[in-house]
Amino acid sequence: MQHTRMTGTTFMGGTNSGSTAKPRGRPIFPTLVPFPIACFAGALVTDLVYWWTTAVMWERFSIWLITAGLIMAGFAAIAGLIDLATGKRFRRLAWPHMVGYLVALLLSLTNAFVHSRDAYTAVVPTGLMLSGLVVIVLLFTGWLGSTLVYRYRTGAAI
Amino acid sequence: MMRVCTIAHSPKRPRLAGLFAVISLLGLTGCDDNGGDPTKQIGANPALPQLQQYLIPPIRIARAVGWGKDETPAVPQGLQIHALATGFEHPRSLYVLPNGDVLVVEGNGPKAPIFRPKDVITGWVEWAAGAKAKSANRITLLRDTNGDGIPELRTVFLDHLNSPFGVALVGNDLYVANTDAIIRYPYQEGQTSITAPGTKLADLPGGPIDHHWTKSLVASPDGSKLYVGVGSNSNITENGIGAEYERAAVWEVDRASGAHRIFASGLRNPTGLAWEPESRKLWAVVNERDEIGPDLVPDYLTSVKDGGFYGWPYSYYGQHLDPRVEPQRPDLVAKAIVPDYALSSHVAPLGVAMYNGTELPANYRGGAFVSEHGSWDRTPLNGYKVVFVPFSGGQPSGPAQDVVTGFLDGNDHARGRPVGLAVDRMGGLLIADDVGNTVWRLSSDRQGSPPKPAS
Repeated sequence: MQHTRMTGTTFMGGTNSGSTAKPRGRPIFPTLVPFPIACFAGALVTDLVYWWTTAVMWERFSIWLITAGLIMAGFAAIAGLIDLATGKRFRRLAWPHMVGYLVALLLSLTNAFVHSRDAYTAVVPTGLMLSGLVVIVLLFTGWLGSTLVYRYRTGAAI
Repeated sequence: MMRVCTIAHSPKRPRLAGLFAVISLLGLTGCDDNGGDPTKQIGANPALPQLQQYLIPPIRIARAVGWGKDETPAVPQGLQIHALATGFEHPRSLYVLPNGDVLVVEGNGPKAPIFRPKDVITGWVEWAAGAKAKSANRITLLRDTNGDGIPELRTVFLDHLNSPFGVALVGNDLYVANTDAIIRYPYQEGQTSITAPGTKLADLPGGPIDHHWTKSLVASPDGSKLYVGVGSNSNITENGIGAEYERAAVWEVDRASGAHRIFASGLRNPTGLAWEPESRKLWAVVNERDEIGPDLVPDYLTSVKDGGFYGWPYSYYGQHLDPRVEPQRPDLVAKAIVPDYALSSHVAPLGVAMYNGTELPANYRGGAFVSEHGSWDRTPLNGYKVVFVPFSGGQPSGPAQDVVTGFLDGNDHARGRPVGLAVDRMGGLLIADDVGNTVWRLSSDRQGSPPKPAS
């Protein structure tokens, strides 16, 4: 009983524990970030299947995945802004990390418009290339982030 | 390939343009992309520019405002126009019975499914353009006994239909083309309503998508066959080629057995069919594809050849390939027929009537009236009028002339949009207006002031 309470207190921390965006004093942003990443990576897979099969179902999967990814990214961005405004739990902002996410987001927004074209050219070649580029940018950003966190011990693991 | 464009700047942009202005602030868009002179795309050899693909397809709708009191469309000197009747619910097509009774088909398409986020936006656009009216699914009869251009009788002729469009009478058999079937009803001359249940003659491609839902209908001169215009199930196969089975075609249905064959194919949306009186050939107005530019692809009026293939979806105007279609079919493209007469891009011809009457001036005899419902994806707007295409020797013989205009007001808002056409017993041209919810009658200006509109 006592042990549980202590654990809770340990994680509360921070100076602004009353913030609604930080129920446990930790930033919400890292919790939400994996959702858009998974959606955008999924869209690359469904794009590739569409390229091979030309079955429209896969093209529809892609555009819904990209749309869902953008919406989740929107929530993550809002959470991130609230985190920044209210909390100090980010030890130090990993700027290359942030720029990477932003580039991926803008590419995905463009990709949503390309994927809203009709039939084959909604995916091949521009949409497919953008989906691939987004995944490359996200992988690079992730690698850069882990380097910053684990090798140089700067930045946050987000 | 990746041209980034937005809708053009105009002092009177529709409200939706605001949305795109916001998007353009995100740095996604930025250039003007206006359509050229439509007259360069009228006739046998339209100028066809390079194909473009968009990040945001241009949308430019004329907001529906309806007609003010005493407002009418404009007509040239020597003609007059008045409202035959008003207060309809989305009147789409017209048919004149042998005794002169006018049938007004009131209906709209079934609910469109949402397959992609884009379909949500499309729904908003159609709503703003006044195209989302609930389907009344009925046919109203108008009777003008004394021939003064004002109907004395108005009855519900047929009700509880399913998105009806085409009507054809052969003897005592009245055929109604619902969106999913041709239904036959017994009809006696003078009848003002039909209560007898219909009999299904043939199924037509309907739901669940039913992207182009109208089924135009015309009977062969000998009455043995019915010809049905069946539109495609997509703009350009974005619902899969499987959804296009027996669509984008003119069907020939045997009236005795209900059996059908594909009379001609590759016609994206053949919304109006008519017999050319001199050559006795079947002609159609066809709506071509969207989203590859303000001047692509011109809609057209063409003779429909038995067994002919007209390109859709693989190509347009003969062998101009559409890269959005995969896999391609070079075998079909090789035999794609170039349509006879371009009407210019995105005008949306929804009605055609070959004129053989005597009411209108003699220069209109033998030619075709075409109603242009009007563009929604082109700046400046195109269509929103009824034009006349002169014919000679069974072929179009000159540029299209504007006949009925003024469907747009000075702010580019739509007071009305013309759809179905028919020639009445006296030779007046009837025009269904599905935004103004009116049936207009065009006649010669002989007695001065037009009769007062009935309501």
